[in-house]
Order: sequence, then structure tokens, then C-alpha cells
Amino acid sequence: MGIPLVKTFVLASRDYFHEWQMSFCFVVGLAAVLGPMLVLFGLKFGIVGAMIDQLIDDPRNREIRPVSSGRYDHGWLENVRARPDVAFLVPRTRSIAATIELTSERSPRNVRVELIPSATGDPLLPSGQLPEGVARIVLSESTAKKLRVAAGDTVDGSIARQYRNQKERVHLPLTVTAVAPAQAFSRDGAFVSVSLLEALEDFRDGHAVPRMGWSGDHANSVRTYPGFRLYAHSIYDVAGLSDAFADLGVDVHTHAADIERVQHMNRNLTAIYWAIAVIGLFGFSLSLGANLWANVDRKRKELSVLRLVGFRTLDIAWFPVVQALYAAVFGWALAVGLYQLVAWVINEMMASQLEEGQMVCRLLPHHYEIALALTCGAAVLSAGFAGLRSARIEPSESLRDL
Amino acid sequence: MYHLRDVVKTREAEGMAFRLRVPSLQISMGEKIALTGESGCGKSTMLDMLSFILRPSDIGAFCFRPAGVKKPLNVEAYWKANKLNRLGDLRKRHLGCVIQTGGLLPYLTVRDNMNLCRNVLGLKRDGTVEHLAAELGIANHLNKLPDALSTGERQRVAIGRALAHKPAIVIADEPTASLDPYAAQRIMTHFMGLVDELNITVILATHAWGHVKKLGMRQLHHRTVCHAESNLTETLVSG
Repeated sequence: MGIPLVKTFVLASRDYFHEWQMSFCFVVGLAAVLGPMLVLFGLKFGIVGAMIDQLIDDPRNREIRPVSSGRYDHGWLENVRARPDVAFLVPRTRSIAATIELTSERSPRNVRVELIPSATGDPLLPSGQLPEGVARIVLSESTAKKLRVAAGDTVDGSIARQYRNQKERVHLPLTVTAVAPAQAFSRDGAFVSVSLLEALEDFRDGHAVPRMGWSGDHANSVRTYPGFRLYAHSIYDVAGLSDAFADLGVDVHTHAADIERVQHMNRNLTAIYWAIAVIGLFGFSLSLGANLWANVDRKRKELSVLRLVGFRTLDIAWFPVVQALYAAVFGWALAVGLYQLVAWVINEMMASQLEEGQMVCRLLPHHYEIALALTCGAAVLSAGFAGLRSARIEPSESLRDL
Repeated sequence: MYHLRDVVKTREAEGMAFRLRVPSLQISMGEKIALTGESGCGKSTMLDMLSFILRPSDIGAFCFRPAGVKKPLNVEAYWKANKLNRLGDLRKRHLGCVIQTGGLLPYLTVRDNMNLCRNVLGLKRDGTVEHLAAELGIANHLNKLPDALSTGERQRVAIGRALAHKPAIVIADEPTASLDPYAAQRIMTHFMGLVDELNITVILATHAWGHVKKLGMRQLHHRTVCHAESNLTETLVSG
């Protein structure tokens, strides 16, 4: 026949709020430990998070380029494309053949551009801006500027070859479907379909391209490509793909080192943060435990009175636990308030150096929940020892203390 | 209600030993018992054993029979089995205790302090506390915290708390020790009037002889002997 827990809870609460000065000091002490830890974690999470976001957002970090040219046929490329960690793959034609001279009626300039093979799902181009077929082209920003054209305009492309000791030049009208974003390609360039590139390469090699109406020798039956454009699904797939290519005997160039550097930094910062957090939490538990322990001594007489009116061992042990939970919850709330204030100040200060919506100091809702759970856990644990002690109070020895 | 035989409590401090021995003690229902004597003679030790908060060093027999229970409970067995919670339950249900210094909880109002025992027993609020407060002359302090009260008023609250759940027995240890004689007299008169009204067994420790005689209480015999050779002071209580 114990005392209902709710009654113990009410009594412990009234004691807690009666001694509000003392309780307030506990709460401030806790917030003084927890607040800076939240700020530290917010900074770590915000800074590393922003770096990782940047890595993820920039498709160039997912690019894998072969270092030297090889001879890749359709079957080989299809096998690579079928890998689950490959997001995008198009073959490249020889780079000497992959150029074109562009002119437009609006500009006197004659611009020689590099041609980049593209296809559905090109990570460098926004969806809906793809150059499909042999009559469409997506210009890089600098090219569009030089030619003074915009999406919807038509430009004239021309290429020349030496064929049977004669110089030949063909022209083809190309519709500008879009102008690529500046970061997609910084030089003079244009994205076109693979079939157009193949046609240009064949023409330069002196072959006939019937579908374009270009005459010449008979075409090769087996086509091989010297290179490819490949993008991994995510930055985390890059290292694995790089290893896979090494196994296939293909040396590739990747941004794996950059990615690894950020991941490494994230791991190091996390380790440092946890070291600080564990030390902080341990210190806090110790100080709260010592305080509660001393509290039991201070309240020896009051606890003895409860014993005298029939409170059981367990009922008494709840007292420090309930009070520690109050300290934990209020301390956490105060720490979160402090964190919000500091985070706001830091983010305001750094706002000019950041992109829109980016934050240096940032926490997710579940971080707050974890902080609350850890704090309550540490509080209950340290209160448990004080509780055991309070349960051992001998009422006959304490009742007559004045 | 109580039956004790050869119950001994020994305490030692700095080479001096103190021993309280109860060769035989019977207390029946409705009795008003007074334990008198100078301070240090073992009154509090005796009361602590009777209220089950002090473990005797040695027990011949220690039985307690609450009102309405046929078979006496063997307190000795509870102590031996370390069933402190069972003893606590006995205290909760059958005893009311008034301690020397009041022992009020500073965070509860006078009303809640007086209600404490009723509250832990799960008794409904039925005006008992208000009635007692009126009898004790502290009705206008019900909503105050003990801090705001004088020593005498706090002592009355303590008496009220010990009586509010209508226990069978009230054990009071020098309830008026910290009061001036006139206030002490008034409070004791109130107290005895209330226990008579509620038909409560009273065990009272006091060094004020006057009350005991006036209030017609049964006085327990006690004799203190000093054994100089073994540095032992022994008090024998019987009745």
C-alpha cells in the first residue's frame, strides 16, 4: 500500500517551487553547460552541413572523367551505364572532331565552340533544356553572349574537312533550345546530341552521312569512342566507382579527394564534438548529482517527516528524481532559448557571406529532442543515487535536528 | 495495544554507553500515558521504538495490536525481516506523531500540512481539518506557510496534523518544550480535550510534571542507574 505516485510528485513539485531560488540556480547551472554545447553542435552541424550541401548540389563533384583516351564500344558503355551507382553516361567523340563554328545574323563574330555530348538526364542542364535530334543546340552562356542569341533563335553551324585533297564545308541550321547556366560550362561551348556529334565526326573522317545528306566514303560498321561523360548517383558513390574503373584498367579523374576531405572533417568534428559533449554531460551529471546529494542532507528532516507519516522507501526515493527532472526540463528549455538567441546573432553576422537560406549555426528539431532525452537521462541517473541515499535516512536520527 | 517484554536499545558514543531497558510494558486502548524525566534519560528513544522508527537492539517480545485487529502483530518479526515499509504502513494507519520541533513541511500551507496524513491515507476532505484548526485556534492561518507562524502556532499545527486522520494512538514528544509555560498549558489542555473527544490513546513524553498530574495521566516508572565501572548509564522503564 504505497503512496500514489501522483501525490509524491505533487509534494516534490511543491518543495521544488517553494525553493525557487535554489531551483533557479540549478536550472541556470544546467543551461550554462547545455547552452554552449548546443551552440557548438549547431555550428558543427551548420558549417559541415553547408559544405556537404555544396558538394551534393554541384554535379561536377559527381563527375568521373577518364584521364586518357581509350576505345570504348557500345557494349562496354552499356555495361557501365547499367550500374546502379551511375546516374548519367554519354559517350564522347574525338575532341578534335567535336568542334563547330557558329555564326548568327545578329553578330558579326564567328565563334568556334567545343561540343559537349548530352542526353536525357544531363546533370549540368536543367531538365527540359535538352538538345534532342541533330537540329538543336544548347549554348553555353559565353557563346550565347558572343552570338547575341537567346533560346528560340537559330544559329548557323559549319564544319570543314579535307576530302580527296579538296576543302569541303557543310552548313547546318541549329535551333537554340536554351542557354545553359553559367556554372555548367564556363568556356565557349555547346551541348548537342550524341547523334549530331557522331555525324560531325564521320564527316570529318571523310565518311558519308546519308541522314544529313553528306556524301563521302562508306561509314564504319563498328564505332568506338575515346571517352565518355559520366556522373555518379551521389557524391558517396564516386569513390566506389573510381575503384571499379581502376579494376577495369581505366584511370579516372574524380573529385573524390574533395569529398573525402569534407567527410573526414565531418568525422573529426563529430569526434571532437562528442568528446566535449561527453565531458560536459559528465560534469553536469556530477554537479547535479552532488547538489542533489547535498540536498538530501539539507532536507533530511523534511524527508524524515515524510517517513514518519508513512512514506515508503521508494516514495522517498522519487523526491530527488522528480526534482532533477524539473531541473533537466527547465534547464533544457533555457539552454534552447540561449541557443536560439546565439544562433540568430551568429547567422545575422554571417548573413552577408552566405547564400540565401544558408545558415552557419543550425539544429534540426530532433537534435533538441535528443538533447532533452540525454539531459533527462543524466539527471535521473544522478538523482537515482541521491534517491537511494534519501531512502536510507533513519528518521529517528534526523527528526530531532533543529 | 502495546505489549513489550525485555526490549533493549543500546547506544554508544565516545566510550560512554547508554542503555534503555524495558523489562515489561503494557499499554491498553484509551490510556493516557506520560513518560516523564529529565532530558537525556531516554524518553525520545522510548517513543521512537513505540512509533517503529528506531530498531531496538534486542527484543524479548514486541507486539502491537491495532484497534479492530484480533491477532497482535509481531513487530519484532518485521524488524528482523527489515520490513520497514510494513512498519511505515502501520505508522501511517494507526499512529499520529507530534515531534518536539513541529516537523512541518515548509513548502505546504498550514491546511496541507494538517491534511498530510489524511492525504497519504487517501481520505476525503470533510472539514475535519477546518474543525481541528478552529479548536486549536489557528483557523485564520490555514492558508499561510509555516514560516509565517510563531513557534506556538506551528506546534498547534503539528498537533492538528497528528490528530486529523483520527489515529488510534498519538505519540507526542515534548510537544510544548519550546513554549512558555502559559502557552504550553493552553495547548496541552486543548490537546487533551481533543484526544478525549476522539477517544485516542496518548503516549506523551514531557519534563513538565504539572500537566501530568493535572490531566490525570498514567505515569510510567523509570529508574536510571549509573554503572561507573563500565561507563554505562542504564534506564529502566516499566509500566
